[in-house]
Amino acid sequence: MRTAPVGVWQGRIIFIIVLVIVTFLGYGTYIFSLQVINATEYQQKAQRVARRVIPIPAQRGKIYDRYAEVPLVMNIPSFAVDIIPAEVPDADRNRVYSDLAEILGIQTEDIRKSIPQRYHHLYQPVEVKSGVTFGTITELAERINDFPGVTWHNKPIRKYLEIGPISHILGYVGRITTEELQILYNKGYDINSALGKSGIEKQYDEILRGKDGERYRTVDVRGRSVVDSSSLDVPPVNGKNLVLTIDSRIQALSEKALGERIGSVVVLKPATGEILALVSYPWFDPNQFYTDKAKEVFTKLSLDPSFPFLNRAIQSSYAPASTFKVIMTTAVLEEEVFPLNKRVTCTGELPYGDRIFHCHRKAGHGSLNLAEGLAESCNIFFWTMGSEYLGVERITEYARRFGLGVRSGIDIPGEIKGLVPSPQWKEIQYNVKWVGGDTMNISIGQGDLLVSPIQMANMVAMVVNSGITFVPHILKEVRDPVSGEVLETVEPKVLQTSSIRKETFKTVQDYMRGVVSNGTARVVITTKAVDVAAKTGTGEVGRNQTEQWSSWFASYAPYKTDDPDEQVVVAVNVEGTNEWEWWAPKAANIIFQGIFANQTYEEAVDALNLWYLRN
Amino acid sequence: MRNRLFFDFPLLISTASLMIIGILFIYSSGVTSDGWVFSNEYIKQIIWAFLGLGILTALLFFDYNRYRDLSSSLYIGFILLLVITLLIGKRVNGARSWLGVFDFGIQPSEFTKIATMLFLAHFLESRKNSIQKLSTFSISLGIVMLPVLLILIQPDMGTALVYLPIFFVMTLVAGARLRYILFLFIAGMLTIFMSIFPAYTEMLLHRDLVFNDIISNPQYIMIDIVALSIIGIIAFIGYRWLKKGYYYWIIYSLLILISSLLGSVLVRMVLKDYQMTRLIVFLDPGVDPQGAGWNVIQSITAVGSGGFSGKGFLQGTQSHYRFLPQQSTDFIFSIIAEEWGFLGSIIILLLYGIILIRGMFILLHSKDTFGVYVGSGIVAMIFFHVIINIGMAIGIMPVTGIPLMFLSYGGSSLWTGLIGVGLLLNIHLRRYSY
Repeated sequence: MRTAPVGVWQGRIIFIIVLVIVTFLGYGTYIFSLQVINATEYQQKAQRVARRVIPIPAQRGKIYDRYAEVPLVMNIPSFAVDIIPAEVPDADRNRVYSDLAEILGIQTEDIRKSIPQRYHHLYQPVEVKSGVTFGTITELAERINDFPGVTWHNKPIRKYLEIGPISHILGYVGRITTEELQILYNKGYDINSALGKSGIEKQYDEILRGKDGERYRTVDVRGRSVVDSSSLDVPPVNGKNLVLTIDSRIQALSEKALGERIGSVVVLKPATGEILALVSYPWFDPNQFYTDKAKEVFTKLSLDPSFPFLNRAIQSSYAPASTFKVIMTTAVLEEEVFPLNKRVTCTGELPYGDRIFHCHRKAGHGSLNLAEGLAESCNIFFWTMGSEYLGVERITEYARRFGLGVRSGIDIPGEIKGLVPSPQWKEIQYNVKWVGGDTMNISIGQGDLLVSPIQMANMVAMVVNSGITFVPHILKEVRDPVSGEVLETVEPKVLQTSSIRKETFKTVQDYMRGVVSNGTARVVITTKAVDVAAKTGTGEVGRNQTEQWSSWFASYAPYKTDDPDEQVVVAVNVEGTNEWEWWAPKAANIIFQGIFANQTYEEAVDALNLWYLRN
Repeated sequence: MRNRLFFDFPLLISTASLMIIGILFIYSSGVTSDGWVFSNEYIKQIIWAFLGLGILTALLFFDYNRYRDLSSSLYIGFILLLVITLLIGKRVNGARSWLGVFDFGIQPSEFTKIATMLFLAHFLESRKNSIQKLSTFSISLGIVMLPVLLILIQPDMGTALVYLPIFFVMTLVAGARLRYILFLFIAGMLTIFMSIFPAYTEMLLHRDLVFNDIISNPQYIMIDIVALSIIGIIAFIGYRWLKKGYYYWIIYSLLILISSLLGSVLVRMVLKDYQMTRLIVFLDPGVDPQGAGWNVIQSITAVGSGGFSGKGFLQGTQSHYRFLPQQSTDFIFSIIAEEWGFLGSIIILLLYGIILIRGMFILLHSKDTFGVYVGSGIVAMIFFHVIINIGMAIGIMPVTGIPLMFLSYGGSSLWTGLIGVGLLLNIHLRRYSY
């Protein structure tokens, strides 16, 4: 090596050579770690970024009544507008949100809320509004350049063709909440999923929803599809149709028969447990939840003091009052504690301890045997039975044998248990001893005893079927959405069997018939279409005497038949908040007339000559 | 006896290989995933390459010492060209850096590097005997800073930055005092730190640190400078009286601090928001994964997913689905790394390594100082382009938008590189002629 010219610092040149070599070795090592050691991680990342999955929404199944002709719920075409958060430039975000909110007629805040900061890098579309009309979509499409990251998809909205108390059965569908998603995430729901929120829509959500399909797109940085990946597409599986046990004709009849009175009606087929009608008033219109005013409507309904969201047929319980005397009668007969021809004399009042108990007829019923006691619903008779012949243990045991105090298992969510009090229960609950007065109360269906209308219907079914009840249900069949083929039929499932003798039930049936033929219900059950057997009930509401009376009617018809299939149970409850008009038996009267004379409400009213219901 | 016309073949072949690979991958970057060629950049690059080789050859006909005489006129000429560019230049990617008609244009800032190198080499050579003087160092700095400022106004920070290593390496090789070089180097680093740190912590931590105020609040900066100056004056008096060496180094450090403080104020005034963001994103690409950090993340993903042997030519997904931005220029290394894998990356590094090492040996064997100075400038330039550009592609250097010489699409950068190689070959060819 020659010496470098004067003025050149050779050492410094060598330093630079070393610097170059060291830097290159460092780079080589780093690239080795990227491309060889960590290659898999980056390969997965590259796949993830380039391939996007777009859900193809499945059609939610339709819901039919038992005749499966006209749907009660269907889907109508509509659009949903989405935002792909990562495709909205940060600089434009505010403008895009506010412009979009204006076109969609929603608040900018709502969009912001559905796309929190942590979603901003997401390429998954987030739905900001559904139920958007074709016109609005056209408007958006014309100005699409102003709306980077905004897309839309077909999203039929749920249309409830029958509105009224039936919405308590059908329920409604709403967007999944974050809390619900946490629970349901593993079942294939995502942030855009619709979810049944109540009723059948909730109960059978997994059958109705179907399975969303997947459209694979391999996309470039602007989200444009670059290769055809349609071979990977998974078509959606549409939700299955449901056929309910509800008979639209009877449902409508029952709704009108109850009218605008706060209360509920259960019409049950005792031979199978099928619910033919389930009415609860007041009600809500689920269609309103798909409009712009959804939020206001929802808030208003939630705050309504008459609780329109409450399905009173299964979610409210009341003192059964005199209807409980059916169970008392069964107990007396079965336990043979009181001979059938033995009599009790009702003087209108009964001293017990330091209190005097009054019968509802102040003058007294006179001398009564068991059949007459039930027919006249004499309190003194049953007080005597309860306190002197049966005792609280047997009374509660029989209440349980009739399914009180436990859920019936009906296939709509939210059913309550009701309550059968017992001395132990009272001691735990109130730390107070059970006293004779409590036994007196329970003997006439008062006190702490609580029964829901569906339990009341089951109680009657137990009598009708002579010792067996079936789980009440609303789903009849699951059908294929395309072919209509029946995929699944709900078979009757035994709820309870009773060891009570059949003859006992036969006698109870006769006695219940007596209530209608020559007892308390004689004047109101005027239908000639069928022989009704029943028990009335009038409950005091509140402990202070406010003169409010709730009205029960537990009944079935025909009273005797060779074809159990034609029998129906009708249980009606009218709450004490209504004006007293002893409506429960009157409603049942119309319902029986309608069912068995095959008449509409109007025809039935005419046939029964109910002048006060004619306009 | 060696042939006088014996080329430095390793250097020439490496350069040619890089150009060919460059053309291949410029083609690749212009192909969509379904095989549609949407860009004719590769054809243009072939034309640029042939023309560039012509220029290179032409340069070899004359002894490089002739260029010494031309250097001052070249320097003045290109400075004027930069001024003209600022006035009537075309805006590309936000910077007014292009001069040209129709589709054909040049980036004068590229060629100015060569002119500046020649002129600086000429100047350093003429001050051979007073090389250690501060005045020599200052004038050298002035020679370089003039084009740098003009380029910063465009504004093209990346290209302007390349002048700094050229300056450092040339003065280092020429023998300027290390303390001057270190002063500038440390002050420069501190300036960058002080400029970015406050914005970085603010963006990342969403809170103000007291320290940030000390280096970014104008009032505090005034106080800082006054305080530092007072200490400096005391140290200066001490130095005069006691002649103790450590007083010198105290003043030296204080001056570094003061100039960095002033420098950072200037930088914050000059730097555009996006440039600030880019620098921050370099520190942490996760700060803004869809915005400024996107490029870096996509590029690292492309490189990493290439694996050992790559996805195959034209088979890269990141590039062909256009996740990678500016694939043919700034991020060409990412495509090569994705499609040819680790093997490809190593080939690229090796080729550049050969060019640089060969370049350095040419320096060591140069017959005169002018050749050494020019050559060291060229080596510095190529080295800086390589480490910044590849570093950017693998995520260890900030995104500054400077091309990878010989590989990236673009005539000006390719020609500048080829002229550089031409000069190196020229120095090599005439190493024995006196």
